[in-house]
Amino acid sequence: MSTLIEVKNLKKYFQTSKGDLHAVDDVSFTIEKGHTLGVVGESGCGKSTLGRTMIHLLEPTDGQILFEGEDVTRIKGKALRQFRENAQIIFQDPYSSLNPRFTVKQTILEPLVLSKRFSKAELEKEADRLMDLVGIDRRLALSYPHELDGGRRQRVGIGRALALNPKFVVCDEPVSSLDVSIQAQILNLIQDLQDEYGLTFMFITHDLSVVRHVSDHICVMYMGNLVEKSPAKELFKTPMHPYTKALLSAIPSIDIHSPMKRIILEGEVTSPVEPAPGCRFAPRCPYATEACHVDQELRELQPDHFVSCHRAEEIMKLAAKKQEEKEPAAEKQADIRGEGKDE
Amino acid sequence: MKKKDHLTEELCWQEESEHFLSVKDLVVEYTAAGEVIHAVNGVSFDLERGETLGLVGETGAGKTTIAKSILRILPDPPAKVRSGEILLNGVDLYKISERDMRKVRGEKISMIFQDPMTALNPVMTVGDQIAEAIQLHHSDYSAKEVTLRACEMLEKVGIPASRYSDYPHQFSGGMKQRVVIAMSLACNPLLILADEPTTALDVTIQAQVLDMMKALREEQNTSMILITHDLGVVAETCDRVAVVYAGQIIELGSKEEIFDDPRHPYTLGLFGSLPTLTGDETRLHPIDGMPPNPADLPEGCAFHPRCGKACESCRMRDQAPELVHIGGTHYVRCLDEGVKEREA
Repeated sequence: MSTLIEVKNLKKYFQTSKGDLHAVDDVSFTIEKGHTLGVVGESGCGKSTLGRTMIHLLEPTDGQILFEGEDVTRIKGKALRQFRENAQIIFQDPYSSLNPRFTVKQTILEPLVLSKRFSKAELEKEADRLMDLVGIDRRLALSYPHELDGGRRQRVGIGRALALNPKFVVCDEPVSSLDVSIQAQILNLIQDLQDEYGLTFMFITHDLSVVRHVSDHICVMYMGNLVEKSPAKELFKTPMHPYTKALLSAIPSIDIHSPMKRIILEGEVTSPVEPAPGCRFAPRCPYATEACHVDQELRELQPDHFVSCHRAEEIMKLAAKKQEEKEPAAEKQADIRGEGKDE
Repeated sequence: MKKKDHLTEELCWQEESEHFLSVKDLVVEYTAAGEVIHAVNGVSFDLERGETLGLVGETGAGKTTIAKSILRILPDPPAKVRSGEILLNGVDLYKISERDMRKVRGEKISMIFQDPMTALNPVMTVGDQIAEAIQLHHSDYSAKEVTLRACEMLEKVGIPASRYSDYPHQFSGGMKQRVVIAMSLACNPLLILADEPTTALDVTIQAQVLDMMKALREEQNTSMILITHDLGVVAETCDRVAVVYAGQIIELGSKEEIFDDPRHPYTLGLFGSLPTLTGDETRLHPIDGMPPNPADLPEGCAFHPRCGKACESCRMRDQAPELVHIGGTHYVRCLDEGVKEREA
């Protein structure tokens, strides 16, 4: 397995009148070829900024991005053009991310036209191929976005992103504005395309059940920091960071017989403008102590499972102990949702 | 004045009517650019005191139109309530005057809108917005009493009363939605129509808001109709569920009946479309095709073009299926016999 993209201590700050807004703060991770990295977090945690910074839609403030081993952090001109062919993005809102004056065909072909590598005849052929690929009827080629529903528009967005056969695609909430039945169609399409072309994805979403479904690895973000990083299934089985635990417990479950015990977080996300040093979750954390005011580092507590909480082991032990006291027999329930669904 | 009081009493009187709220055969159409859009096509259901009914369905299924027609706030034109009765404690809301209806809105029935960013007046402090609702329904209160009650409501939804004079833009999304909820609960309504109250919120904030709404409702035995597309939210908050498709209820039952034993192919499709948090499914099973165009509904069963079980009779105009009782409190609208049969 080889690494496609590596991010080292990436920082993206925005200047505001009140000081620097730390949208992405010291984030590091790698994505393997053909894998999907899910990034979850609540609104304003910096997940979209991270995605955009990675494909050069935003300039990083500090840090390094390596694409196939090459440093692409500060590339310009021709090199950037080349990089863009390999790194694409599917946007959240298929309503505002399509040019209303472009037909479906124009939209899908735009990247090809800009690359100046295709003849007219080739473009025609490519248009048909791409429309078939993402499942848009060829008769819709000359339709405008306003004539299409959300699901089809998102298919157009996907077609445009895949037009130049990129290696890496950032999916920024690609299904959150769609109805469930359409959402499932698009998720399946994205999965099929990955299988067929060996694409590497970074999948940004706030929907935890979607992220679990599509990802190999998951990063949990809170106010610009990476708080936990682990293989997907593992994260849902044994979440270790207090924030991850609360986040998972807050998802309304369709399992009506084993209701989850909710961890209700007090308060709301504080401001990311000139944040105080230390763990940013501490003001809402039920386990916070004095020692939390020191910057936290990601530590590998289990193979491939990283957590940025200095009390993680302690909290795990505490939870296990509590569980034993309550129900010595039902240790398994410590898993965030139990595994009894396959009965 | 006398007449109003009389009506108010009538609406509070519970023993009189069979159900707290009955919607009977509601039909609503919109006319736009010469086209008739069939938004609601014969919806009937009952609701009891303290009960929560979930209306589940996709965009354009007619969920919000149902709620708005209960409150009689559909803009006419383009909307037109063609037929149907809405009985609140036995009083037909479509037979009373607009003046009386104004008394019902806010005091008996109130609505929580989806988007807290647009439901609040940006140039009025949140406290005054809550006070406005109280003032309108309690003309006997002094200014001081009104302010006091508004502060009390703010505290109830977890916002310190010291923020009474803040404007909506000074609040986060979750807090704005709390203000909207405080507003709708200010006059102790008997029925709340909640239209996707938490869709615009993050999960941890959604959990806070749902918990708070539940506590407040239990305190006052308020009934609620919760409109949502999120089956997880339904599972956690509702007693009964109505699945809406193309302006019709296609399945109705208790939460247990719907979640443990869904029958209609559409309901099954909705469950199949959801990635779960525990399963090991590698592929989802979406419903084929798109929701129908409400200006041009398919003949017969509206779901037949997307249904795996559809047969010849499902496509026939005069064979449109009825909502059939299949045991318990479970109803389903499907022609397929297998769908309706109860397992032994």
